[in-house]
Amino acid sequence: MNEMGAAGRRFARGNALEAANLAPEAAAHAQRQRLALADAKARFQKQNWVGTVALFAVAALFPVLPGVEGWMAYTVALVIIYVIATQGVAVLTGYTGLVTVGHGGFLAIGAYTSALLTKHYHTELITGLIAGGLMSAFIGCLLGLIFLRLSGAFMAIGTLGFAFFVGTIVNNVNLFEGREGISLPKNRILIWEIGDVGFYYVALAVFALTTLLVYCLVRSGVGRALMALRDAEKAAESCGINRVFYRTLAFSLSAFITGLAGVLNGHIVRFIASEVYADIWYSVDFLVAAIVGGSSFLMGPLLGGIFVALLPFFLEELRELAFILKGVALILVLMFAPAGLAEVFGRPWRAWRRNKLERVRNDGARVSRASLDKLTKLEAR
Amino acid sequence: MASHFRCENVMVRFGGVVACNDVSLDVEEGKIVGVIGPNGAGKTTLFNVLSRFQDFSEGKLFYREQRIDRFRPHQMVRLGLARTFQNINLFVEQSVLSNILIGSHCLIGNPLASLFWLPGARRTEQELTERAIETAALLHLERDLDTVVKHLPYGHQKRVELARALASRPKIILLDEPVAGCNDEESAELEKIVRRINRELGITVVLVEHDMSMVMSVCDYIYVLNFGANLARGTPAEIQSNPDVINAYLGKEE
Amino acid sequence: MFGQQVMSGLATGSLYALTAVAVVVVFRNTRVINLAQGDFAMIAAFLGIVFLKNFQLNYYLMLPLVILCSMLLGVLVERLVMRPIADTDWLTLFTATLGVYYILHGVAGWVWGRDTKAFPVTFDAKPISVFGTLVSEGHLFNMAWAVCIGLVLFLFFKYTKQGIAMRAVTDDPETAKLMGIPVRFIVLLTWAMAGFLAAFAGILLAPIVYVSPEMMDEVLVKGYVAAVFGGLYSIPGAILGALMIGVAENLAGGYLGAHYKTATAFAMIVVLLTFRPKGLFGIQARREI
Ligand SMILES: Nc1ncnc2c1ncn2[C@@H]1O[C@H](COP(=O)(O)OP(=O)(O)OP(=O)(O)O)[C@@H](O)[C@H]1O
Ligand SMILES: [Mg+2]
Repeated sequence: MNEMGAAGRRFARGNALEAANLAPEAAAHAQRQRLALADAKARFQKQNWVGTVALFAVAALFPVLPGVEGWMAYTVALVIIYVIATQGVAVLTGYTGLVTVGHGGFLAIGAYTSALLTKHYHTELITGLIAGGLMSAFIGCLLGLIFLRLSGAFMAIGTLGFAFFVGTIVNNVNLFEGREGISLPKNRILIWEIGDVGFYYVALAVFALTTLLVYCLVRSGVGRALMALRDAEKAAESCGINRVFYRTLAFSLSAFITGLAGVLNGHIVRFIASEVYADIWYSVDFLVAAIVGGSSFLMGPLLGGIFVALLPFFLEELRELAFILKGVALILVLMFAPAGLAEVFGRPWRAWRRNKLERVRNDGARVSRASLDKLTKLEAR
Repeated sequence: MASHFRCENVMVRFGGVVACNDVSLDVEEGKIVGVIGPNGAGKTTLFNVLSRFQDFSEGKLFYREQRIDRFRPHQMVRLGLARTFQNINLFVEQSVLSNILIGSHCLIGNPLASLFWLPGARRTEQELTERAIETAALLHLERDLDTVVKHLPYGHQKRVELARALASRPKIILLDEPVAGCNDEESAELEKIVRRINRELGITVVLVEHDMSMVMSVCDYIYVLNFGANLARGTPAEIQSNPDVINAYLGKEE
Repeated sequence: MFGQQVMSGLATGSLYALTAVAVVVVFRNTRVINLAQGDFAMIAAFLGIVFLKNFQLNYYLMLPLVILCSMLLGVLVERLVMRPIADTDWLTLFTATLGVYYILHGVAGWVWGRDTKAFPVTFDAKPISVFGTLVSEGHLFNMAWAVCIGLVLFLFFKYTKQGIAMRAVTDDPETAKLMGIPVRFIVLLTWAMAGFLAAFAGILLAPIVYVSPEMMDEVLVKGYVAAVFGGLYSIPGAILGALMIGVAENLAGGYLGAHYKTATAFAMIVVLLTFRPKGLFGIQARREI
């Protein structure tokens, strides 16, 4: 009980560190706490860095492998763009718990913003990305404020309405040139023209940035606040979380990411027409991708995006069969991996890690110096 | 003693039901104040008013003489007020540590700095985590830090909720039936904890509780509500011998 | 002109209502937003063609057969897809019905092809005058059917044992179970009812829009919007929403131009939700603390 009192007093004073020196029991106690903390961190915060970096390395080498042609890089870039858009959906649906069936609208906003800038002011791609992303984030912020009180199925229909609204506008307002479409010149980064492979690297770089953004978000206090709002709104407010601010922030971030995907999507095809961007199936597919992949896992959008983007691609010839297979696959995933593919794929990694920590933890019960060092190393990973 | 937190003549109506009828309450700094009353007396509603989850049609709210009638719930936490819920309201899918960290949300500083992990943010995060662990230790939860809350027994969950409220380093804390549904052992434990919170951390406590032995032993003074209205106020001894209170609880003899 | 627009709006609206009511009935008993509702109707329409053309049945023999098949389809979907995942969150259920949507689309496309087919039974294009406004025979026929179905539903929910049990499940599934109501059977019945409504939606809509795998997509969206409009729990609310949407979009189509039809429906719902986040008759706020 003694060390408890010490901890309590220290709590009252609010400074953290010297407690371990108070008494040997307190030191043991502190270490137990550290172990528990490391364990908790491993389970809920740490992601697989090695895997992520390896993945990006492979992706970076892909276009220069022998036998890989421009059109392959182009196709993979399309999938990456799909994945980025899905990341945007995951921020809103997975981490904040607001189901969106309207992210095709943000895709369109990003694409049209950049396309119009390029057409009228001859801007290059980076400017386009920044402008498209910010414009989308701005509209997202407004939408978040309008839909402040919606949730569940009501939010779904509201966002679907938004996608329809955007579709109607690009179809009917002359500025956007409807079905005629806007053709874009060859893509430029600053002053250099880029081809398919160059564009692939741009898409990959954007993907790396958005992944980093989502990673930082999830681990930060902001991410915690979003998840708190998702899990229990009243309780979150009682913890001092400003519901209006964080919901709007989530909407903006999510719209920003999908807006970036929209810019890329417009520039890779170099043709933007309302036929594509007024199609609400985009919005539905992004949602499906997020759910199938596992919307509260960092790698969820990647797996889900690949699943949804590539399935019809491989089955181009068998159109109806592709539909049926897509439906069956979707239902099977929901039945057998309700938390998403990322959860299933991540199981071995998490099991390995848990084992290792369990061992360290058991050692730690004997309060040895060595185990502390081991733990520190493991934590640093 | 200085008034820490006070409401005057609060009215709350739900359609035809008057849940709070002209209720006044004055919480003195550093005290443990009990609020008791039969079921449906309006205690929870009063708490919701005080923590600004519930709007009221008439009345005034003061925090250290500052009018706070139009504050939002999250602003109350900034002021230094934390609360728990009568029915446990936790983030059940998340670990105990996450729950406590969420409780310390008002200490993360600038949210954008936190989001982009600007230099200060990493240190803040470290500190908050350490503090969260200390808070858990205070409530004997340090072994469960990594457990997902829904797997914990009821008594533990009650303590997690208390830990979460403490994590915001409040100056005043509202506890809505902290020992309801707990066994005797857990109740005794929680009673001790409430005392410690008050003495060692210097936090003012407002306590709604049906467990009379706990209320009578820990509270400095007690308010009694009945049918949404103030019935009595006094020390535990005074309340126990107040005929109105006895009538309210046992039913009036005609 | 105005009166005519309103009349044909009501006719379209009553078809949306069939879908909207089905969405509500399924949602409130099972928490499922059923995206396959439109496809049940589409399959029913195709079956109608099969019975009429290939088997040379007459209309009133075809109807009960199609209803039976459609109800079976609903039951099948419940047993094979929805029941195994019944206790997951609503988003999973929602996505699963999307899976059913894909499958039914694919099956219809595979078996019957992608191009539109004319329904063998059509209506006289010559309008009839009712109270001074001109209405087409088809619209009148459809509205009459919709009213009949509405009446049948009303009687079902009010007087039959199953109907009352269904309402009990809506109000509180836990208590209903404790009271000895066979909740699983009721859920099955709910899906059968969705099939029943879909059969009518499909058969009544087929002569107007031609039959194809996509024929119901738009109606589904409108039906869903109407259901949300009424608050997702209320059948009268859904019907009211459907009629309002039918009329409003017909007026918008007449005065603004055809491409504003769907946009009008969504504009209505977004404005409504901004002010009443749980729809017109939704449960606005439940006690939580
Ligand atoms: N959101 C609400 N809507 C309608 N009536 C409500 C609402 N909240 C509370 N009431 C009513 O107000 C009255 C006071 O309820 P309250 O929950 O404050 O009582 P309480 O003193 O906390 O009771 P208990 O000891 O059972 O927790 C009750 O009659 C209750 O039915
Ligand atoms: Mg209460």
